[in-house]
Amino acid sequence: MASAASSLTFILLYGVSYGLVLFIISIGLVITMGLMRVMNLAHGAFAAIGGYIAVSVMTNFGIPFPLAVVAAVAGVVALSVVLERLVFVNLYGAPELDQVLMTIGINFIVIGGLTIFFGPNVYPISLPDYLTGNIDLGIRNFEVYRLFVIVMGLIVVVGLWVMFEKTSFGAKLRAAVDNPSMTRVIGINVNRVFIIAFGIGSGLAALGGAIGAGMLPLEPYYPMKYLVLVLVVVALSGFGNMRASLAVAVLVGIVDTAGRFLVPSFGGFIIYIVLVVLMVLRPEGLFTKRAA
Amino acid sequence: MVTQRNRLGTITVAAGLMLSTAAMADTLKVGVVGPMTGPLAVMGEQWRQGIETFMELNGDTAGDTKIEVVYRDTTGNPANAKQMAQELIVRERVQALVGFGISPSAAAAAPVINEVKIPTFLPHVASPALMEASPYFVRLGQNIATNAEVAAKWARENGMESAYVAVADYAPGHDVANAFKPAFEGAGGTVTGSDNIPLSTVDFSPFAERIAEAQPDMVQLFIPPGAQAVSMVKAMAARGLMENTLIMGQGEAEDSDIQLFDGTIKNFHSAIYYSESLDNPENEAFLEGLQAKFGEDVLPSTFTLGAYDAMALIYALATDMGADFDGDAVMAELAGYSWASPRGKITLDAESREPIQDFVIRRVEDVDGQLRNVVVDTIQQVHPISGS
Repeated sequence: MASAASSLTFILLYGVSYGLVLFIISIGLVITMGLMRVMNLAHGAFAAIGGYIAVSVMTNFGIPFPLAVVAAVAGVVALSVVLERLVFVNLYGAPELDQVLMTIGINFIVIGGLTIFFGPNVYPISLPDYLTGNIDLGIRNFEVYRLFVIVMGLIVVVGLWVMFEKTSFGAKLRAAVDNPSMTRVIGINVNRVFIIAFGIGSGLAALGGAIGAGMLPLEPYYPMKYLVLVLVVVALSGFGNMRASLAVAVLVGIVDTAGRFLVPSFGGFIIYIVLVVLMVLRPEGLFTKRAA
Repeated sequence: MVTQRNRLGTITVAAGLMLSTAAMADTLKVGVVGPMTGPLAVMGEQWRQGIETFMELNGDTAGDTKIEVVYRDTTGNPANAKQMAQELIVRERVQALVGFGISPSAAAAAPVINEVKIPTFLPHVASPALMEASPYFVRLGQNIATNAEVAAKWARENGMESAYVAVADYAPGHDVANAFKPAFEGAGGTVTGSDNIPLSTVDFSPFAERIAEAQPDMVQLFIPPGAQAVSMVKAMAARGLMENTLIMGQGEAEDSDIQLFDGTIKNFHSAIYYSESLDNPENEAFLEGLQAKFGEDVLPSTFTLGAYDAMALIYALATDMGADFDGDAVMAELAGYSWASPRGKITLDAESREPIQDFVIRRVEDVDGQLRNVVVDTIQQVHPISGS
């Protein structure tokens, strides 16, 4: 029989690693939605493309995993900046329905494209040897890969915190989120801030897609399949609130893991119960500045 | 439907007159209806490979009848299945259908098929109760209750005392669980745990953890092939289950799908009716034809095989009956029909219209540096079990 302590550490470790992958994938959408008020339902497509780029350069050119991840992020940032100028720029200020239709349409184009180029199946990733196997944490064994995901998640958290709080770009970004017109008035090029933020957000999605591929397998339907989870995180985070989205993503990971582990038959519902309760109690998102 | 049938009759008569006056070679159209695109596209793609391989090897005529295949894409949506079956029957005037990626699609189309008595060959759909929906359904796969029972008996004979049942939480998963448990317990084993895994599951590690804690001798698994199966196997491997526990599935690790997994799939067992490694002349010809047409690295699955065998039956029928199939005559001819398939000897059970065939227990092993299913045991001529 497993001890309660072992079960608890299982839920925490696996929940946190799962939650952090969700965080890395979702945070870009939290930022761009907060900033540009664009409901980009194609955000998951950037994660999928990132994952596919990483795996395809690994398998076709034998490029090591870390470099493949860098290539994926760079590729998606470049792609997303182009798309931002060509497509998304038309959506700023457009009615929500237009945004939803357009970005869902992009999802279907990406799904079709991935199917044509990579086939309808799962696109398998072979993680490097140093990321496979288990490590003994004293209390229990834990997958090296998930530990790696946790570390990467924390690096992203720290990186974003530094960018938001300690750089002048972060200050401009926060200003643009809070009050875009005032920010324009004081001479900050908000459009440029938008492009950079959009690129960063998409790049983070690609990072999540690439390093999370061991947990969320790559397949053409990826952009739609994980959309609900991403939207849960976004909905509970509030506009552009990074701190909240970290907490929400980790909460989603832990609640989902605990739910499926403790009451497997209802495990799929528990996260939605939490979602409904939180949406009723805190419709503005967790940790919003306004009191609920 | 009456008016439609009359109209269909009129068209048939008119077309028949035209054909007889023109005195051209008779053409029999076969309608293939199923997911050619969408999340289940792999099924349609592999059917097409099976069908085209058969036609490459056997030509496009059976006896004096030219065979023509018409495809319709349901995108995996059962709502489309009925409409497209209808369209194939009414507009394309197909004489036989091959199809349906999932059992609900076949059930949805059954009323149309029954109305016009079109023989319908099901390459792989596996719901035990499905055959009741139409007397014109012919199953070329299996019903999954049979696999589960074969697996349970084999596991008991091989010393497994305790079993954990982990199935996807939808009808086929429940069918597997309901067939496995009484068979395993009836043979003296104990089922120590049973989980219905929600289809929405993304991270499967909670289920792997539950199984690991229960420490069973074996796990009976049923997970939809593709991303879900890949994730579940990875999660089980991370807990060491692939090495220290007998993991028994069905179609999760088809030969054509093994490359979707990383090395973690090694040691995965399945109870199923086909393995690419089977050694018989029909299988050799099938593999050679498939790889000559679609490439050296293309491997067959039970999807490929089911469509291939459906064509074998249609060719045999067309040779006997010509281009005009009468549903009831076809079903009478097929009752007890036996032929040599790449899977070995197969006989259509007269009662259930399901195959009597060998089952294999296969295991994924490293063969010359490549992971492949290897047959570890064969259970001769298993009769279908009605799980409903």
